[in-house]
Amino acid sequence: MPLPVALSLVGVCVRYGNRLAVDGVSLDVRRGEIVGLMGPNGSGKSTTLAVAAGVLDPLAGTVAVEAIDRSRNPAEFAMRVGFVPQECGLYDELTAAENLLFFGQLYGLGGTDLRRRVARVLARVSLTDRATHCVSTFSGGMKQRLNLAIALIHDPPVLLLDEPTAALDPASRDSLFTDLTHLRDDGHAVLLSTHHLEEAELGCDRVIVLEAGKLVASGTPGELLQSRVGTGAVLYGHLRSRPPKYLLRAIRSRFPDGVSIEITGRRLRLIAPDHVALGTALAMLLTDGVELDTYRTPAGTLERVLSHPVCATAMGSE
Amino acid sequence: MTSRLGLILTLAQKDWRLFWADRRAALLCFVVPIVLASAFGLIFNQPTQALTETRLPILIVVEDDGPFTAKVVTDLLASPRLEARVVSAAEAATLVVEQPGQPAIVLTRGFERLKQWQPGNTNDRPELRILHHPAGMADRQWAEGVATEVIMQRLAREKFGGFSAGVPDSAFTTPMQVHATAITGNSDAQFNSYSHSFCGMTLQYLLFWGMESGLLFLRERQRGVWGRMRAAPVSLGSVLAGKAIATAAIAMLQVLVTFGFGYLVFGVTVSGSLLGFVLLALAACGLAAATGLLVAAIGGTEARARSVSILVILGVSMIGGLWVPAFMLPQWVRELALSLPTTWAMRGLSAATWEGLGLRAILPSVAVVTAFAAVFLVLATLRLKRAEYRIRRGIV
Repeated sequence: MPLPVALSLVGVCVRYGNRLAVDGVSLDVRRGEIVGLMGPNGSGKSTTLAVAAGVLDPLAGTVAVEAIDRSRNPAEFAMRVGFVPQECGLYDELTAAENLLFFGQLYGLGGTDLRRRVARVLARVSLTDRATHCVSTFSGGMKQRLNLAIALIHDPPVLLLDEPTAALDPASRDSLFTDLTHLRDDGHAVLLSTHHLEEAELGCDRVIVLEAGKLVASGTPGELLQSRVGTGAVLYGHLRSRPPKYLLRAIRSRFPDGVSIEITGRRLRLIAPDHVALGTALAMLLTDGVELDTYRTPAGTLERVLSHPVCATAMGSE
Repeated sequence: MTSRLGLILTLAQKDWRLFWADRRAALLCFVVPIVLASAFGLIFNQPTQALTETRLPILIVVEDDGPFTAKVVTDLLASPRLEARVVSAAEAATLVVEQPGQPAIVLTRGFERLKQWQPGNTNDRPELRILHHPAGMADRQWAEGVATEVIMQRLAREKFGGFSAGVPDSAFTTPMQVHATAITGNSDAQFNSYSHSFCGMTLQYLLFWGMESGLLFLRERQRGVWGRMRAAPVSLGSVLAGKAIATAAIAMLQVLVTFGFGYLVFGVTVSGSLLGFVLLALAACGLAAATGLLVAAIGGTEARARSVSILVILGVSMIGGLWVPAFMLPQWVRELALSLPTTWAMRGLSAATWEGLGLRAILPSVAVVTAFAAVFLVLATLRLKRAEYRIRRGIV
């Protein structure tokens, strides 16, 4: 039996000047569920999250958390939402504990209860030993973890994260998704925005795709991936160095109808018509000296890719 | 749930912590006004006794070789108010330009005719020329006054010499005694140039602190932390109140530290109403807080707000008499200055400190400064609320 709906947006519209940034978006997020908001830049992801967090007032539509309508009871609504802005919402001049104490007090917490909560959330994001350190001394990953901890200080049922992995390295990103998975398992409803299907696939139970402010697709990551690559195979990786252009041309010419290589920054997405082709393409990259920090495929397909004889040899030689 | 007041105090406490987080910057907030006030006080510190003993350096150019002129030169050289020396016309022209504050008196050719002067004779008067630096108007007036006195005394001796033979030169002194006293509203109060500089610099740096607080607010609004604040159950009114309280509290600390230093080191005292001083200090701190919010409300970007604020604060400080006493400013500037809060704050602080006046004399200043603070606060709040509404509604 599915858990109850925690966050509900119905027919939400937001206008920036003459531009309709969010156009009639309706969505639900249940407790114990991580939902990813996807879409290109300017598709309305951050605006939708801002409306869900109560940071923006919608032009039309309603936003409710556990049946509490924001427009009717904004204070109660705010108590049930934890918002992690894209830009770290922290005071660099204060320590981690001071940041948590301050934001906790804004939510009406205080005394021993607040101190206990501070200790608990710091432990949850593995920052206990840095509690009394100034935030300005933190790495990007630590700041993002503290950013998450602040959103959790009042233990809200709904957690909203705006591109939480934007400035993180792969290890920090994986650690963040581990935290989110634990929160999901504890019954929180999580809505996050991301550019990357790989991330959505890594940690989301459901994905909602926005385009030009409209909801254009919704489903599990597998379903969405299926619609994109059909019966094909996909591999995500994080490159240590950019492959030379001649190599990319060589791979594309070897698979003229099928293999797609997309490189954004140091992220790699390899899509092929089948696992054999994917394994061959990966092997061509690896044998030419291209190094991958991390790589993965949708659940259950990695073994099939790596079992390709050429690929297995290349991986073995690393 | 925390009360609204508790929430406001939490927000104020956060700003207090942020202020002290950078200890060096916080320390400078107190040290800079003290250093400037001490420097201004030192520069303008002219004890009354020292003033009476000061002699004006002047140059004397003698173009007439008559005996009456020679006696005038001797009198000028002997004057206790002058530090005179005889130079050539060319030397005088060079020295007056190169050494401001040293005018030259030229006893022109034909000066000797003065000896023939008769009451009622307004024609054919010999010329006494004074050369001075363009910036030395006060020295010029000083030189003219002393020279006139010396010449008229010599003329009196020459005119009355015939029927007062045997009367010593000392008998031809001025016929009255001049006795000058610096007075204030309170006979016990004594002028201390440090009082003026400490009042002025404290007020100026209260405004600078207000500006800095406004810039911090602008910075905060441009950071992700503002998005988080918007998502929290906190009204904009509480945020503004917390900001205003923190700014005013730090401003009050600035007043205490600056005047405390002035008292301990330079003897700056509140000779007048202590209650009046406290009320005015509170009003000035409120003005600093309101100025900060106004800077945040109308500043736009941080860089723009900083440039414009510095210009405005320096302008109102200068016109308001925070740097030099207002009476030294031209009349039209003094009239214009009545429309500025700094003028009234300075008047009130002067009244409470070196003028030694009572509460009644200070209350008008308290009222005007409080009114300015209230107007700034209302304007800032309305503007920030409007901006927040527009942001929340996506109005660009």
